[in-house]
Amino acid sequence: MAYPYRDEREVRILSAHFGDPEARTLAGWRQRGGYEALGQALALSPEQVTEIVKNSALRGRGGAGFPTGLKWSFLRNDGRPHYVLVNSDESEPGAFKDRELCRWTPHQLLEGALINAYAIRAQHVYIYMRGEFFEPAQIVARAIDEAYAAGIAGPDVLGSGVTIDVTLHLGAGAYICGEETALMNSLEGRRGQPRVKPPFPAVFGAFGQPTNINNVETLCTVPHIIRNGADWWRSIGTDKSTGTKLFNMSGHLVRRGNFEFPLGFNMKELIYDVCGGIRDGRSLKAVIPGGSSVPMLAAHELDIPCAYERVATAGSKLGTASMIVMDDRTDIVKQVRRMVEFYAHESCGQCTPCREGTAWLARIMRRIEAGQGTEADLALLVDLGKNMTGTTICVLSDSAAAPVLSSLAKFKDEYLALIGRAAPVAAAV
Amino acid sequence: MAEERTPLQGGNPGWAGETGEYGHLTEADVRGTTYVGKRPPEGTSPGASCSYPYQVGGGRPDAPLFEGPYRERLDKILSRYPNRQGALLPVLALAQEIRGHLSPESMAEVAAALGLAPAYVRGVATFYTMYHKRPVGEHLVQVCTNVACNLCGADEVLRAFLAATGTEPGQISADGQYTVIEAECLGACGFPTAVQVNDRYFENVSPEAVPAILERLAQEAAARSSAAARQGS
Ligand SMILES: Cc1cc2nc3c(=O)[nH]c(=O)nc-3n(C[C@H](O)[C@H](O)[C@H](O)COP(=O)(O)O)c2cc1C
Ligand code: SF4
Ligand code: FES
Repeated sequence: MAYPYRDEREVRILSAHFGDPEARTLAGWRQRGGYEALGQALALSPEQVTEIVKNSALRGRGGAGFPTGLKWSFLRNDGRPHYVLVNSDESEPGAFKDRELCRWTPHQLLEGALINAYAIRAQHVYIYMRGEFFEPAQIVARAIDEAYAAGIAGPDVLGSGVTIDVTLHLGAGAYICGEETALMNSLEGRRGQPRVKPPFPAVFGAFGQPTNINNVETLCTVPHIIRNGADWWRSIGTDKSTGTKLFNMSGHLVRRGNFEFPLGFNMKELIYDVCGGIRDGRSLKAVIPGGSSVPMLAAHELDIPCAYERVATAGSKLGTASMIVMDDRTDIVKQVRRMVEFYAHESCGQCTPCREGTAWLARIMRRIEAGQGTEADLALLVDLGKNMTGTTICVLSDSAAAPVLSSLAKFKDEYLALIGRAAPVAAAV
Repeated sequence: MAEERTPLQGGNPGWAGETGEYGHLTEADVRGTTYVGKRPPEGTSPGASCSYPYQVGGGRPDAPLFEGPYRERLDKILSRYPNRQGALLPVLALAQEIRGHLSPESMAEVAAALGLAPAYVRGVATFYTMYHKRPVGEHLVQVCTNVACNLCGADEVLRAFLAATGTEPGQISADGQYTVIEAECLGACGFPTAVQVNDRYFENVSPEAVPAILERLAQEAAARSSAAARQGS
């Protein structure tokens, strides 16, 4: 049940035990069927486990939607040490699902990670959790203690003879460490700067060894797929976006929080019915549907299914399904400025378009917000934004440009009002 | 911002976040404190020992690094990485937990413990915001002002903390108790405004709640110091 509100239309798989403190404990988790899937997986060959995940068409929940089973199949059984990394860095503004998964169902995560490790023959799982998550980290740490004591982690996992160690590693405050190769550098005790790919992590990952990395939510779904089968998972959701997903709903909503729905659920229904619409009797101005790094949608663009392919057709991205909802009083320029400042602060500085571009965007946005902008600034924003897209090592640069470009396209009148001009209705950007 | 604020449903036990339809949950239920139990300074199982809370207040700048139980924890951390450099982030965190912040001398000691160059360790430490290069107040109050919280009045919450502690961002209050800073998204966007105080989150914080939160922190600090005094006598 998603937390802290529920809706009868939800399909609760990952969130079935949110809000239930007993489900946190190993005993409670086992009573709820926990670790049966790990046992089932250990009775199969690693390749068979990967095949099931591949057939489920599960797509990664960390933002990019890459097919999970396919990613696992890139790893070769070459005798080198292999690693599984769990991406629990969750720092994208709007996203707050991995924290709930970690704090309510730590064993669900461990089970998924252990199955992943078995499937790619990894001997060590590192859970990289953002440093601010002390509280969920203590819960996961306790779950690791329990798993070792019960012979679920360590040498001889569930009596199978397989060794899988689990280490919880805390980050130290840097959004960019959520990017998979920056995370690897950070884990290795370096500055968290993304690496140029190729080589890809399946060949040269953590500590230079073959590595698989998945998001917390991705791995939490794996035990359910092993237990109920790939066909069952594919029977939920759409053809290209299978299964359920946690929707993280924030902003000016009556009911905020996580809700679990099959992919393809209607966005308008989610916002107006499930979340009760806008607070304090206001109306809706804009929605960022997938975390702050995806383009905004305006109120009339929301009647779409929440599936990766359908949100893309509407000109945005489902990303992490983290929806930030803004009411009619929202100062769009101020909020875009705040997001841009975030990216400027978090740029790792390796690429010129990103380092310089984010700083310039922030400066110009501040100038406009202060009423000192000119119309030439708007053209400059577009120019900068375009130069920052598709030109850098990682996509943080593109992410910084997205709110600027989309807000200029959809809410240009708010910019124009601030630079002291009447809003021409159909001005092209 | 919102003149008419929709009241919280289900309450917000101990500011551990709005509980909505789960109004029966206690603060310990939400935070998981009963499950977690005591975390000893030497750590528990090695895999869980790289992740102990740091930035917990009570650090002493002159405390020895890596002695007694902390040495034990250091050894557990070192056992989890294929090389010593891999242990750098958790070991810096451990040093900060012991001393409260990371001075150049502390970084040099960490470098020596791991066989790394001091300049290398400084270069890494300065990349990350959670390592404090200067002392901070006993309570580090980090107010998220990023978009999801900002929409719901985070700027006012930040101002309320600054006013109530009589500080500017990043300063230590006159009584040494508080440092208030603006933070980026804390990953609790559904519970605006999210505020982190040392190792805990306070959620759905409104400006009006700030005095009561500070009062609670003061009471907890007083209880901790009288417990320490009892132990000492
Ligand atoms: C700037 C940036 C930040 C990212 N932050 C996260 C994050 O916090 N958590 C996450 O799971 N993935 C994050 N990602 C995506 C990861 O690089 C990677 O795609 C993901 O961990 C893969 O897991 P998945 O296939 O299960 O989605 C980020 C990517 C970028 C470019
Ligand atoms: S795009 Fe930005 S964050 Fe990404 S590697 Fe380049 S400078 Fe770093
Ligand atoms: S925006 Fe404040 S916690 Fe995410």
